[in-house]
Amino acid sequence: MIKHIQVMLTALAIAVSGSTLAQPRREQPPAGPAPVNAAGRVLLQGADPSDKGTWTPVFGILDPITPYEQIPFQPWSKALYDYRQTRELEPHTRCKASGTARQFLTPYGVEFVELQDLQQIIIFDIGGPHTFRIIYMDGREHPQDWQHTYYGHSVGRWEGNTLVVDSVGFTEQFWLDRRGMPHTDQLHTIERFTRTNKNTMEYRITIDDPATYTKTFDGGFNLRWNQGEELFEYVCQQANYATELMVGAGAESVDRSSNIVP
Amino acid sequence: MQRTKFKSAIGASVLVAALGLVSAPLLAQPAVHAKFDPASEMSISGIVTYVDWKNPRAHVFVNVRDGSSVTNWAVELESPLVLRGSGWSAGSVKPGDQVDVKGLRARDGSRQIWSESMTVAGSPVFTLKDLAPAVPAQKAPAPRGSDGKILLGAASGYWGFPSEHALVEDGVEVDVDNYGQLANLADAGKVAPLQPWALALYRHRQERNLRDDPMFINCKPPGGPRQYQSDLGFKFVEDKANQRIFVMIGSGNRNYRIIYMDGRAQVGSVTGDDDNPLYYGRAQGKWEGDTLVVNTRGFNEDFWLTNGGLPHTGSLVLSERFTRTDMNTLQYEVEIEDSGAYTRPWKASWTMQWVPDQEVPIFFCQDNRP
Repeated sequence: MIKHIQVMLTALAIAVSGSTLAQPRREQPPAGPAPVNAAGRVLLQGADPSDKGTWTPVFGILDPITPYEQIPFQPWSKALYDYRQTRELEPHTRCKASGTARQFLTPYGVEFVELQDLQQIIIFDIGGPHTFRIIYMDGREHPQDWQHTYYGHSVGRWEGNTLVVDSVGFTEQFWLDRRGMPHTDQLHTIERFTRTNKNTMEYRITIDDPATYTKTFDGGFNLRWNQGEELFEYVCQQANYATELMVGAGAESVDRSSNIVP
Repeated sequence: MQRTKFKSAIGASVLVAALGLVSAPLLAQPAVHAKFDPASEMSISGIVTYVDWKNPRAHVFVNVRDGSSVTNWAVELESPLVLRGSGWSAGSVKPGDQVDVKGLRARDGSRQIWSESMTVAGSPVFTLKDLAPAVPAQKAPAPRGSDGKILLGAASGYWGFPSEHALVEDGVEVDVDNYGQLANLADAGKVAPLQPWALALYRHRQERNLRDDPMFINCKPPGGPRQYQSDLGFKFVEDKANQRIFVMIGSGNRNYRIIYMDGRAQVGSVTGDDDNPLYYGRAQGKWEGDTLVVNTRGFNEDFWLTNGGLPHTGSLVLSERFTRTDMNTLQYEVEIEDSGAYTRPWKASWTMQWVPDQEVPIFFCQDNRP
C-alpha cells in the first residue's frame, strides 16, 4: 500500500512536471532590461497591457531551496524532515494552499498584479490551489488578532528595485518547499523579489522560526518570465484521487493527532 | 421579488427558543440536514475533552457519563468565522468545562450532535448572531472612478449576505432554506423550468438531503451563480490597466476567476485549451451605462449550479447584470440558458450587501481534511 502510494505520487509529480514539457513554451525574448514604471522603478508585470507574462521556477522538482547540510534544524524538525523524505505526503498534492517558497514552485506559475489605487500587490496562482495572495503596500502593521492562514498576512515595501515582503500568521498545514521543510505557526518570513532583467526574477526568503530552527537562514531560487502567457483555470480537485488516497482509515493514512502534518 | 423563505429549518419555534437561535447564517457549509436529522432533537451533558477550532466546522468533544460508562461525543458547530462574529473564541469553551448541549442527532447514529449554542456551567448561553452589517438609513451613492464608471470594489470591503441563498426562478414562491433544501419535495418542479431528466436528478439530490454536494465532499468549485449566494461573499478587483476584472470568491476554495473586458473571444487561453470546459466558464464583460453585463459560457458539468442542486449541462450560458444601485447594494440578475437541462431560458435576481472595511473572509474548503 505504501509502495502503491509512492508510485502514485511519483506519477502525479511526473505528470505535473511533465505537463510543462507538453505545453509548448513560447520563446523567451532576449534578456533585455526589466520594464520600469514612470518613476523608473522595476515592474513585476509587463511594460504595458500587451506585454503579458507569468513567472515559473527555474528549479528541479526535488531541489531543496537551501542545501540540506545548511538547514539549522532542531532535532525534532530534522527528524520530521527526514521522515517526509520517505512518505512524500505533501499537503500541496491534496490541494492545500502552500505558502512561502512553495507558492512559487508550481509548474504553471504565478502572476504579480500591482494595483496602485488599492495599494496592494496581488499574486495569483495558476496551479495548486488557484487562489490569490494579497500583499498590503500601504504601510500597515500585521494585525494582532489575525486568524492564521496558509499564506499568512503580508506587508510589503520597495527597497530600490527589490520588493521586500514581511509575513507572519501561517498555519502549519503545508510544507515550506517541495522537499518538506517544516515550520510552526511562529513562522515569520522575509521575501525579496528582485527582477534583474526582463526574463529573470530572483526569489530569496529568510526563514525565522525559533520553534523549528536554531537560527534564521536563507533559501531561494530564480523565476523565469514566460512572455505572452496568461492566467488560466486549473482546479486541483478535478480528477484528483490523491485526496482519497492520502486520507483514509488505514495505517498509511495521514496522522491527524498533530496540527503539524507529517 | 416574491418568495417565501424560512430560516434554517431546524423547525419548531420551541426548539428555536431553547437554542436562542437568531438566523443561521449560511457560510458555504454542508447542509446541516444532510448529516443531522431535524426530527431527532436531543441533549447531552458532560465534560469537554478537546476543542477543534477549525474550518469548515468547529467541533467540541465531550465525555458523557451514562451510569458507569463514559462515551465521547462530537458536538458540531458553525465555522470559526461565524462563531467569532457571535462572540465565541477558541478559548470560550475549554477542556474540563462542564457543558450542556441541545441539538440534532446524526442520521447515521454516530455519537455526533449538531448544535448552535451551548451552556457552559455558570455562563450564559452563546447564541449565533446575524452577521450581516447594519444598513445605513441614508445610503450613499455608489462611488465612481476617475473614468466615471461605478466602482465595484475598493481596497477593503466585499459583497456578502445575499438576499436569497437559493436560486429560484423570479416570480415563483417556494419554501426553501438557506442551504437550498425544499421544505416540500413536491415543489421541485416549480423552482425552474426543468426538463424531465433534470427534474428527476434535482429531486434525487433533494431527497438525499443534499449530502452528495460535490462542493463539500470534494471541494469542487462553486461555478455559476452559486458563488454569489454565500454569506462569505466575493469581491471584485478591477484591473483596468489590463482590461480585466478579478472575482475573488470567499466560499469554496477561495478561487479567483476573471471577467475579460477586452472583447476577446470566449476560447481557451492556453494552446490546445480552446474547448476545454471550465468550472467557472469563460466570461466576457462590458459596461452598459452603470451596469456590468457579463456573458459566460464553456462550463463543465462537474459542479452543482446552485445551493440545493439544480443541474446544468455543458450547453449552459449565463447572462449576468451587476448594478451597484448605491454604496451598500449590488443588484444581481442572471438569465440561465441551457437547452440541455431546461425547457426555456429563465431568470433569477437578488441583491448583495456591501460589507465595509473587511477583507473577504478567509475560508478554504480544503480544511475539511487533514
